[in-house]
Formats: sequence, C-alpha cells, structure tokens
Amino acid sequence: MRLFISLVTLFFCHFLISQNLEYQSLLIDKNLTEDANAVVRSNEITININAIDELVVTKRRVVTVLNKQGDDYVYAREWYDDSEKIIAIQAVVYDQLGKETNKIKQKDFNDVSAVSGGTMYSDSRVLYLEYTPVSYPYTVEFTVETKTKNTGFIIPWRFLEGYGVSTEKSKYTISYSSTDLKPIIKEKNLDNIAVIKTDTENSITYEASNIPAIKYEELAPSFAEIAPQIHPRMVNFIYEGFRGAINNWQEVGSWMYSNHIANKDELTEAAKILIKSLTAGATDDLEKAKIVYNYVQQNTRYISVQVGIGGIQPISAIEVDKVKYGDCKGLTNYTKALLNEVGVTSYYTHVESGTNKVSFEADFPDLWAGDHVILAIPYKNKLFWIDCTSQVHPFGFIGDFTDGRQVLLIKPEGGELVSTPAYLNEDNHQKIEGSYSISNENKIDGLVAITTKGIQYDNHFMIKDRKPDDIVKYYKGIWNYVNNLNINKYTFENDTNAVVFRENVSITADNYATKSGERLLFSPNFFNRNDFIPKRYRNRQFPLEIQRGYLDEDEITIQLPSNYDIDAIPDAVAILNKFGSYSLSFKVSDDKKTIDYVRKLFIKDGRYSNESYDEYRDFRKEVSQHDNSKIVLIRI
Amino acid sequence: MKSKTLPLLLLFLTISFVNAQNYSFGKVSEEEVSEKVYPLDSSAVAAVLYRSVNVRYNYTQSTGFSTITEVHERIKIYKKEGFNYATISELLYISDTSNEKEAFRGLKAYTYNLQEGTLEESKLKSSDTFTEEVSKYYSKEKFTLPNVKEGSVIEYEYTVTSPFYYNIHEIKLQFDIPIKKQKISVQIPEYFVFSPQIKGYLEVTPKASTKSGKITFNNKDRNSSGGFSGTSTFSSIDYTINVSEFEMSDVSALKEEPYISNINNYRAAINYELQYVKFPQEPIKYYTTTWEEVAKTIYDSPDFGSQINNTRYFKEELASILANTSTEVEKMNAIFYFIQEHMNWNEYYSKYTDQGVKKAFKEKTGNVADINLMLVAMLKEAGLKAFPVLVSTKNNGIPIFPTREGFNYVIASVAIGNETILLDATNKYAEPNLIPNRALNWLGRLIKEDGSSVAISLNAGAQSSETNMIQATLNGKGTLEGAMRIIHKNYNAYNFRNANNSISEDSYLEKFENKYNGMEISNYTIDHKNDLGDPITEKFDFTLENQADIIGDKIYFSPSLFKTEKENPFKLEKRTYPIDFGYAWEERLMVNLTIPEGYEITTIPAPIAINLPNNMGSFKYNITNTDNEIKIMVILGVNSSIIPIQDYDYVKEFYKLLVEKETEKVVLSKI
Repeated sequence: MRLFISLVTLFFCHFLISQNLEYQSLLIDKNLTEDANAVVRSNEITININAIDELVVTKRRVVTVLNKQGDDYVYAREWYDDSEKIIAIQAVVYDQLGKETNKIKQKDFNDVSAVSGGTMYSDSRVLYLEYTPVSYPYTVEFTVETKTKNTGFIIPWRFLEGYGVSTEKSKYTISYSSTDLKPIIKEKNLDNIAVIKTDTENSITYEASNIPAIKYEELAPSFAEIAPQIHPRMVNFIYEGFRGAINNWQEVGSWMYSNHIANKDELTEAAKILIKSLTAGATDDLEKAKIVYNYVQQNTRYISVQVGIGGIQPISAIEVDKVKYGDCKGLTNYTKALLNEVGVTSYYTHVESGTNKVSFEADFPDLWAGDHVILAIPYKNKLFWIDCTSQVHPFGFIGDFTDGRQVLLIKPEGGELVSTPAYLNEDNHQKIEGSYSISNENKIDGLVAITTKGIQYDNHFMIKDRKPDDIVKYYKGIWNYVNNLNINKYTFENDTNAVVFRENVSITADNYATKSGERLLFSPNFFNRNDFIPKRYRNRQFPLEIQRGYLDEDEITIQLPSNYDIDAIPDAVAILNKFGSYSLSFKVSDDKKTIDYVRKLFIKDGRYSNESYDEYRDFRKEVSQHDNSKIVLIRI
Repeated sequence: MKSKTLPLLLLFLTISFVNAQNYSFGKVSEEEVSEKVYPLDSSAVAAVLYRSVNVRYNYTQSTGFSTITEVHERIKIYKKEGFNYATISELLYISDTSNEKEAFRGLKAYTYNLQEGTLEESKLKSSDTFTEEVSKYYSKEKFTLPNVKEGSVIEYEYTVTSPFYYNIHEIKLQFDIPIKKQKISVQIPEYFVFSPQIKGYLEVTPKASTKSGKITFNNKDRNSSGGFSGTSTFSSIDYTINVSEFEMSDVSALKEEPYISNINNYRAAINYELQYVKFPQEPIKYYTTTWEEVAKTIYDSPDFGSQINNTRYFKEELASILANTSTEVEKMNAIFYFIQEHMNWNEYYSKYTDQGVKKAFKEKTGNVADINLMLVAMLKEAGLKAFPVLVSTKNNGIPIFPTREGFNYVIASVAIGNETILLDATNKYAEPNLIPNRALNWLGRLIKEDGSSVAISLNAGAQSSETNMIQATLNGKGTLEGAMRIIHKNYNAYNFRNANNSISEDSYLEKFENKYNGMEISNYTIDHKNDLGDPITEKFDFTLENQADIIGDKIYFSPSLFKTEKENPFKLEKRTYPIDFGYAWEERLMVNLTIPEGYEITTIPAPIAINLPNNMGSFKYNITNTDNEIKIMVILGVNSSIIPIQDYDYVKEFYKLLVEKETEKVVLSKI
C-alpha cells in the first residue's frame, strides 16, 4: 500500500516537472542568462493560410523575466483593428518554481486605442496586460489567436527579439491550404544560430534554439540588420478586397498603381485653374515643379488618418485639396496630381524612412517594404526628389530621412527600384569663419558665420523657424562649454536653390579664459569643440559603422588682450587615417597680437571591423584632446 | 487748441475700434485674418483671439441635474509651428459603474483665410470628426480644421453635457500660446456649493452675481391599473443661480524653464470642488470646507479609514515579524522593511485603496494607499502610535486651498518619543524618514483615529551627501593613476540604489567609465549596496588619460581633476519659477595628488569661501601643498531644498564664482 502511494506520487511529480519545465526559472542554462534581462523560453507561432481570404495566427510565448529591465519583454499584448480580430487571448504568470500565481483572461486585459503620436485617428487598438511583478525571476505564458481576411501581410519573425534577451526555443510554422498560397521566405543571419528548417508539402517550419543574448553597442549596425530573422511574403493574396499576384518589383508597382494610384488624381476645376495660373509664367518643367512644391508647402499640413485600406491607399487628390491636409500618401498623391495638371510627370515612391538607411532588396519584392512615401520628378535624365510632408525642406533636398537608399518608383507601367541621392562625406560640409577678441578684463567679444551644406544643412536650417528664446537656448546648448555666454544678435540666410544655410551670430562671454596667477589659459577653439568620444567596450562584438561622413572647416582670428604676451601655443597637428583626418594650425601675426587658428575635421562613412572600433575611439580621443588644447598668455 | 484735441480724438478712435471687435461666432474680421504677428508677443506661433467657456446646470425630470459646458474659441495661426493648435481634442469621461458618459454635441467649426483680398471660409465636415475609444474610462473627440495655413483664423464651438453634475472640470486660464481675450462664466444652482480655487501666477478676480432659475415638474398621477393617466399637473420651484464671471485680456503664454518639477503646477486655472449639497427639504450633505473637513471626509471613506482598522489578514505574519523585537524603533523597522519587501507598487498614485488592503496583501501588489495604509494598520496593531499622512505629490502641485483633490498620495508616520518618523514602503530603497522624492512636497496632513488632523512638514530629515576621495599621481604625459573612494549618504544612496541596483555591475562600471571620458577601473568593490540605512561605499583603482594640458615645459590642470564643475547649470538671464533641488545636500571632494617627477609647482589657486544669503548654501575651497604634493578639499552644500525666484541671481552668481574657482589651474614647471 505504502509502495503504491509513493509510486503514484513519484509519477505525479515527474509529470508536473516535465509540464512546468519552461515555467520554472531555476534551471535555465547559464549561457542564456548571461547579459540577459529576460529569457524567451519558448516562442511559437503558427500561421494558417486557410484560404486566400482567411489567415489565422496562433501564438504562444513563454518568457522568464530575470530583472526589472526585463519587464519590457513580457510582451503580453496584441494589436487589432477593424480587419483583424482577436479570437482568444490569455496570460498566466508563474513564480520561480513554476507555480501559477495569476491567470489573466481576455476581459482583464486593458483595451485601449493605439493611436500613436502624429496620427489623428486610426482604427488600431491594443489589448495589453498590466502586471506588477512581485518578485524576480517570474515567467509569463501568453497565448493569443487572431483572424483576418487579409492575406497580403505575413508576420516576419526574429529568432532573437532584442538586446539583452536570449532565446531558448523559437518556432515558426506557416501552413497553407494550397501551393499557390505558399509564401516565399527570405532568411537573414541564420548562419550563426542553431536552426532547423522543415519544408513539407503544405507547411514550412523553422525551429531555433539556445541563442544567447547580445549587448547593445553604439556605432554598430542596427538590431534589425544583425538579428537572425525570416521575412515571408505572399505571391497571391487579397488585401482589403484587392487581389494581388506579385513576383517582382515591377508587379508590386503595378498592383499599387492600378488599384490605388491610377484614379486618385482628379482635381476640381478651381484647383486646376489656380495651379495653372500659378505656373503660367514658367516654361521649364523643373521651374513649374518648384512652384507646385512651394504651393503645397505653403498650403497643406501633415495630418494622418489611417483606417482600413487607408493604410496603403492615398486619400484622393480632390479630398486633400478640399481640406488641405493629409498624410504622406495623400500629400504626395496630391502634389503628383497638381504636377500632372501642369504637364510635369512625377512618380509616387515607397521608401523606408529614418536616419538609419534601409534599402529595398532587389531579390525580395515586398509590398510592405517601406513606411513612407516621397515623390520623384524626372528631369533631363535625372530624378529630383521631394518630401511633400515637409513644409520647410528646399526643393530637391530630402535630408537624412530618406537619403542614400533603394526605393520603389511606382509608375503606370509598374514598379522600379532606384536609389535616392546620398549625401556623402565632403557634401556634408560646415564652414565656420569668424573672429573674437579677448579683453584685458577677460571678456570675449566675437562674431561668427556658420555655413552648412548637405546633412549638416539639414541639422541646422530649421532653427530659423524657432522662437527667439529657443534660438538662444540652442546656441547656449551647442557652446555649452562656454560659461557666462551671451548671444547678442543672430541673422540667418537660407539659400534654398543652392541648399546652403548661413548663420551669423555675435556673442560675448565673461571670464572665458581661466586665470592662473599671472597667466591666462584658454582654448582657441571657441566655436566648434568636438568632445564626442565613443563609449569604451571591454570587448567589442560588432563592426563599427559610420553612416554618414562630414567635413568641418574652421578659420578663426583671435585678437589678444593688449596687456598680455603669448607664453605658449600648442603645436600644429596633422592626423590622417582610414577614418578621416584632423588638422590644426596657428599663425601668429607680426605684432604678436592676433592668432589665426585653422582647424579641419573630416570623418568618412564606412563599415569597419570590430577591432577597428578602439582605433576609431583613440582617434576621437585625440581630436577631443586637441580641440581642448590651450593657448597660454602671460601678463606683461 | 486744435493740436491738443487731435491726440485725444485719435485715442478715442482707437478705443472704439478695439471695442468694435466682434466676438460673436462667425464674425471673424479681415483685420484678424490679415494680422501678421501677435502684437504683444511677436514670438507667438498662434494666439487665442477670443475664448468663452460657459458652465451651467440643466434639470430634466427624467434624468435630474446635468452640467452643460459651452466652448467657443477663435484662434489665430501665425506660423507653421502653430498648426497643431488647429487640431482639437476633448476628453470625455465614461463611468464604468453607472454606464453614464459625457456627451459631445453641436460642433461647428470654420477656417477663415484671405483669398485675393476677400475673406473665404471653409467649413469642417461632420465626417471629419473622430471619436477615439481611448479606454473603458475615456473617449476622445477629435477634429482638425480644413484649409489651415499661416495666417488662418479658426473658430469652433461645441458643448459637453455631463451627467456627473457634482464634478466641474478644471478650467484652464492659460495656454502655451497667448490669449487676447477670454470670458469664463460658471452658473451654479444654489443647491450645489462649490469652492473655486485659482492656481498659477496670474491675478484673477471673479465677478459674482446671482440670477433666478425655475424647475418645472410635470406630475402625472398613477391610475389604478398602474399606468399613467392622461392628466398632468404642473408644479415649479424657483431657485437662485450663483454666477461667477472671469474676464481676462492679454494672458501671456506659459513658458517652460529648466529645473521645474512640473510646469503645469504654474499654469493658471480654476478648479471647482464641491463643498456641500443642499436640496429643499433635505439635510445638507457636506463634502469639504476646511483642511480638517477634508481630512475627515477622506478618513471616513471606506477606502481609507476602515482599511487601517482591518488587521485580521496579517495576524500570523505580524507575530513572526515582531518575534525578536523589543523597542519601538525595532518594531517599526521590522514592520517597515517587511511591507517594503512583501509589497510591490503598481506605480499608481492614490490616497484611496484600489483593491483593498486584504487583497493587496495576498497578491503582494497594490497602489500607494494599498501599501501605506496596510503599513499604518500593521504598525498600529503592533502598539505603535502610527497615523496616515495625506500628501500632494510634486506633480500634483502644492495644496493651498482645502480640497480633497489637493491630496493624491498617502504615507505613514510613527511617533516615537518626541519624534515623528515618516515612512513610505512603495519604493524598494526607501527608509524610515527617507521618503521618495515625489512625496517631498511642502506640508502633509496627519490624520488621527477620530478624524482630527494636523499639518506636518515633509522636508527631508538628515542631510544627504556624496563624498569623493581621490589619492592619485599625475605623470608627465597627463595621465592620472590612483585610487578613489565614494561615499553616498541618505538621498544620494537612495538615488544610487534606484538608478544602479537593478543593473549589472559591468553595465554600471561601463556607464561610470564613460561619464569620465574613458576612465579605466579595476579592483572595484562596493559596500552596503543593499543594506538600507547604511551609506554606500565604492572603492576602486583607476587610470585616466589627458587630465592636464602640457604646453611647452609647463603642465596645467584643475586640482579638482575630473570632478571639476566646468559648467554653470544656471544659464538663463531670468527665471520665473523657483529652483527645486528636492532636498538639502552636500558634495565633498578630497584630493591628494602627487605631481610628476622633475616638476615644481609654479602657481596654485588661492583658497576661497562663498556663501549664499540666509545660509541657503555654501562653497568652500581649500588647497595646500608641499614640494611634490597638492591637497585640496572642496565642500559644496545647499541647505534649502527650494530656492525662491528672488534669489535666482544669487544662485547664478554663486555658481559662476564656483565654476571660475574650480576651473582655475595649477601650473607646474620643469625643474
């Protein structure tokens, strides 16, 4: 009898343990907890394409959160909208031993609208779990099932979810009811992880396991670029009632054009007359295009409303003309319609925006690539680019938001991949010319002209529209190493044709030089001190990436106080290496009362090995050191 | 004679022109649309030309009282940066218990532009308004005006009807853009007595008057079969309506300044809080009048007082907590640290419990009241003189007038001997008499069992400090090598623990090394990282390059080394709001520096001591040297957690002198 009971108990215990193995957090592999704030114990997704208009997704994710930073990885949330419904959702919380402590049912999830900043309205909503951890580690099992009639978009998958989180098991299954619904999958960075792919007649499965966490490093390629991931896309699909068959970029373009662009450019008679009269005096197409862009910039603003098909289809030009606002799609299409009216051809263009350059891939024609729309205007075998959501950018200048990347031109005859202009190295130029004097009372009085081009233009020109208080704050911010700084006067010249911005600023500052007995010490580099030193990593893992290069040139004349002589001047410097160059020189006038200071810093873009990171760091340390080097004066 | 009357006449004309401004809906003038800048503030990106808010009560026999808020606004857009003022949203409350909600009605909205010299209006289409279901408590009505460009004038009106008649929303009197003219009117039937309180830095005086109102009842008699008969009788009640009106012109824009806990605390606004309700033939129902009343009303709520009296659920735990304690201090500490460990704050502020202490205790999580009222209950049960203390957090502002909404947070207090100790168990690193910064706001209100209450200071007790001790050698290349010790006390230790205890030591050191431009640290140890009540001591060895300027045969450096205060944090010329340091603090720096061999000290800064007026703060800089060693001791202390605006110039000057002194150089010369 006794034996029997203990046998039963044993059996029962064994059963419990095997069930709860992924819920307990006592026995996690050390490999997975290193540098990790959370461990994804199991993340499984099953995507069932039941028909061209029925997609059911089931997700089950178990995550063990090791510490407070890991709370962000609970991820117990699901978005939904008018097209995509949540059929079931649940979360269960387990303590360290794998004992269930909370069960959260659908009605206990918070249900809120997911209208993000910048959007006025969308039908997007989110159900999310609000949970206060009572101890660490803890484990959350989240299950959700969703259903949609849209099969155009299939969720991509990362086997590693972010920095500081490891993966014990990650499984992606996609099954399809017929071969014409079989998606094409692009794999990225799967070489260095343990992953098993199974391809059967009606399903594809990827299963990865034991991927350790990685740490964030600055000046490295983005996580999106280094993560092991797969991207599926459908060849045949229905999206919001529109059927599609896509085998190449040309077809992406024609699907977009014929369904969503072609008949959206009608205008009212009044609008036609107005735009024709505005461009009446112009004979050249480029000139007309500039007038139209200027009209759009002066008369419209960015307001986004995203509902249903509105996620991909622009609001018609006639609608935008009525209210004079729209999102990137609506404003671009409107501008295109106006241009068309005055006989100028332009192309609606999909692009992935952001300072981090992301290109569309030639071998993976994806309708969902990109998050923004810009306009291309062909003129004399060249494309001119405008961003219709910007009310301030000059014609033909798109800045670092959409520069230097592969994008999709949507032409009536189909799509075409092209590159947007890149602003390279010397193009991103800043020239500082100026002078300042130091009085015997240690007061600085200076005048400086800052001229910027390229991406540096993009970083500077918008200050012209700021409030006076904010402009003063801006200068006090960039010259924050100068105490007791006063900004007396400033003027701006914005040459939108040449895309050159010029700032003229006059300043004064008390006690700039530091006293040391009879001596005065000051750094001659008053207007452009570069103290950027990349962070030190004990063990750098990823390559060094410099996305955009630049060139800074400074020429400053310094008037010395009459009661002082020069005691010491730093030596001239010239550094040249694979990252760029740095030089510094001083020229003392014959009467020894003025010093001409010339500085040049050139940084090249590029990707360098991880070992190069420390060299780059040393270079920036040197630059910072020389930018802070001092001239010493001594009282006569 | 002629020349004298002319200016007068002109003046008269100007006045009549200004008065001629028509603020009726739809009467936008060409002058308003053609105006290029706001005359009183040329930096304004937009301005409210006119605004009226009318709050009144309505009575219907079927639904009873409701409030109606009529809003009319006319806004001028001067610059593109002001376009966002053409998008309007109104948050509407939904009761999750009664199913009642506020209703948004009667929207009319137009944009006015000058088109070739003529005024052109564009109407908002009703299909261009949106209702966003934000959560189960709120929905949001949103619209944006059509045809908005630089120069446009927009105008809209709507009403919000609310069944929650006992609650009048805060009426803002100041925006981030200037207001040229506004008229606020609040009309409240005599049955409801509210206390209006005005906050902010504007002078506002309401004009009070009364008018009469009438409620008509339709009395239908029940007939014998239970339905209503066709005959009705009417009766009516006359009552007085109390009217407050505010008329304001040229209200300046609210501008953000640094070192302010929450700019909204300074925004001018009126809040109405219900004091009592008195219907005819019914007893008065009080809500608030004085601080005592406020405290008592809060105490009498089932989510407050009775939560303190509930003690059964922790009986067993309390016995074991108290097992090895004898003195009152031991008991207090044992209970405080137990609750702090056991409970987890869900990051919600409240003076009322959410789920109740019992459930919170079982689930180990709760809001501020769940945790701290449970703490009070347990302390009392252990025989200590413990009381709850109502607090207004920094982002809730300083309570000036007695209102329930004036308090939004509760902590615990214990009287031991003559001392009152404040406790807040919502933060894992708080200690007795070391409550989180958010609650360190002027005065709290301590409530006793009988509901009586007294004001109590929330100022931080013991002084907080950070002491840095550096023993180092400088070499001829400007590299510094040595050992450092840092001691963090009280709030400095509290802040350190909150910032760093949940990250790994490696991440912390990486952060620290990068803060000092690539310092390299070895042999790092830390003591008392988790021992609340004890100061934290960090010790390590370090090397750091480029710590001196080597020019010719001289070496220059600041003796405060990498701890030198190089920047004056107070850069602005003028300041409108007080400086909030949070708590009194002191920073000490002691350096023992050996200079490179082959050099001698040529120049060395002179010692100095600077004081702020009224003992608000001080800076002492002491320096001595031998042939090859320099010793400095720098003490910077601020004794006053809040520094009033009128003393801003002193603080700015104080920091200026301090920075000048700290950046002064030692000069070494080659022998």
